[in-house]
This record gives sequence, C-alpha cells and structure tokens, in this order.
Amino acid sequence: MNSKQFNTQILTLSDKLFRLAKSMLRNTEAAQDAVQELSMKLWEKRKNLDEVENVQAFTMKAMRNLCLDTIRQQKDESELPAEFEFHELNPYQQTEHKDLAGRVKNLIDNLPELQRTIIRMRDVEGMEIAEIAFITSITENAVTVNLSRARQKIRERILSEQKHVEETIWKG
Amino acid sequence: MERINELLEKYFKGETTLAQENELKQYFTSNKIVEAEHEAYRALFVAFGEEKKETAPISLSGALVPQHKPRRFWIKTFSYSGIAATLLLALWIQRPQQENDYAIINGRRIDDPQYAQEYAEKKLNAVHEMVQNGLKPLRDVEILKKNIRNSHRNSGYKNETIKSDKTQIINN
Repeated sequence: MNSKQFNTQILTLSDKLFRLAKSMLRNTEAAQDAVQELSMKLWEKRKNLDEVENVQAFTMKAMRNLCLDTIRQQKDESELPAEFEFHELNPYQQTEHKDLAGRVKNLIDNLPELQRTIIRMRDVEGMEIAEIAFITSITENAVTVNLSRARQKIRERILSEQKHVEETIWKG
Repeated sequence: MERINELLEKYFKGETTLAQENELKQYFTSNKIVEAEHEAYRALFVAFGEEKKETAPISLSGALVPQHKPRRFWIKTFSYSGIAATLLLALWIQRPQQENDYAIINGRRIDDPQYAQEYAEKKLNAVHEMVQNGLKPLRDVEILKKNIRNSHRNSGYKNETIKSDKTQIINN
C-alpha cells in the first residue's frame, strides 16, 4: 500500500476509529492518542496491508486491541479509579443533561466495554454482525446476545428515567 | 403502527436486520410527532444519528498520514544533489593540476620528468655512497676485533682481559 492508497483507505476510517476509541476509553484525548498511535503503527506496516482482505474490519480490530491494552495498563498502574474510569452522573447532573442524545450517550457509556462497543458498532456505525464478530474476536451468536443485552439495558433505563420524570411532573 | 411495535420488539431482542434498523431510525428521525408509546425511544435513535456525526479532531487527520514525507523527500533530493554538484566541481577544478606533474629542485620548478628523475637518481647515489663511507670505520673495527681474538687465543689470555681490551679498542 503506497501513501496515496493509505491516505484514501485509512484516512477515511479515522472518524470511525476515533469513535470506537472514544467509546472504549471514554476520554477524547486518550482516543486521539490511540488513533495517532495506531496510524503510526499501520503506516510502518503499510506494505502488509495489501494482503488484508477487509481493511476496515482489520483496522477496527487493531484499534480495539490497542484500546484494550490501554485499559489494561490503566488498571495495572493504579488501583484507584483510572483517569478514564467513567463516573455516572448524579441525579442533579442528569436533570441538567437536557439534550436527549447526551442522555442516551451517557446510558451507553455506562454499559460494560464489550456491550457498548457492540451496540455502537451496530447502531451507530451500521456494521454487519459478522464484521463485529471478527473485530471483537467472539462468535456471531455471542455478538447478538451482547447486542440484545445492551439494547434491553438501555430500554430499561430509558423507561425508568421516563417514569421518574413523569412522577416529578405529577408531584410538581 | 403495529409494524413499528413489531420492529421494536425484534430490535430489543437483537433480531432485526440492518435494513429494518434503518427503517426504525427513519421513523424516529423524520417524524416530528410519533406515537406516544414510541416517544420514549425517540431519544435512542436520534442519539445514534448524533453520535455518527462526531468526527476525529482535525489535527488527527494530519497525523494519520505523515504529511511531511513528500516535503522531506524534496529536501533530501535537493541536498543530495547539492552535495553531488559540489563534489563534481571540486574534482573538475583539481583535474588540470593533476595532469601537469612537476618537481621543485633548489627552489626551481622543473617540468621535465626525465631531468627530475636523473637528478633524483644522482642524489640517491650520493646518499648511498655517503652511507657506505660512514660504515667503513665499523668494518675496520670488525676486522681488528677478529685479529685480536685470534692473537689472544694463541697467547692464552683469559676471557675477562679480552673483553676489557675489546672495550678499550672500541672506545679508542
């Protein structure tokens, strides 16, 4: 793969790679660093990329593995909650979080890593189950199970939040 | 509306196809007013669309491909050709001088190689002669030593006296 091909094939994936890293690490700067690190690694091995059949799936898989390493390192380095550790918003912050999209984003961010990665690959990126299975190194069936669990958890939380809002309005 | 209910049930079980999921996204994002029972899920499908809009920071796309590579190529090319040109120029300037060999004899420039060679040979012979003449006394000493040794052997002198005599002779 020459630099022109690298530009067109890898650069077009940069947004997807960034979103995947951000979803996994839950930190914009860390995601940025991860994409930079990956792009440098891929650039060094660009000659081998010609042998890759599905460049998107291969690159996404490499990104996920790199992020998993980062998460592992963060856990090893400190027993205290890592910098990337996500803190659930308290009720006050939740009510402040007025935009709907932000609220859902927050709900997804609270899912376990595998579930939030899978739900975003499917519902945000619109990827096939087989591709997600390749990237996450699990079976297609396991992908479907995790996807279903993730969606159901979100549904429960949305419904309970709605119930809470309705109760508040009724009391008010 | 039954269609949407049906799709939503399948969606939460993880059984929808990508096309069906797109149908749901379409329903929730294009209709400003949806059925009350579906309203709770609107945020979910709106959020997916919003998340997909997130792009990698601009600086990142620059970092993805080492953009400075082509520039460095030209810098390298120019500097290398500059070095090559300098070397060629230096060789060209030195060339005519190398063709005209000459010698300096008694502060005079001699361009005739035959004369220079003869002169050098003459001088070398003179040096040889001088060395030979210089060594002559040493040869005489050697002959003298030999004669003394023979005469001492005949007269029966002890080794010690021979040595002292020898030293004396040499010193004289």
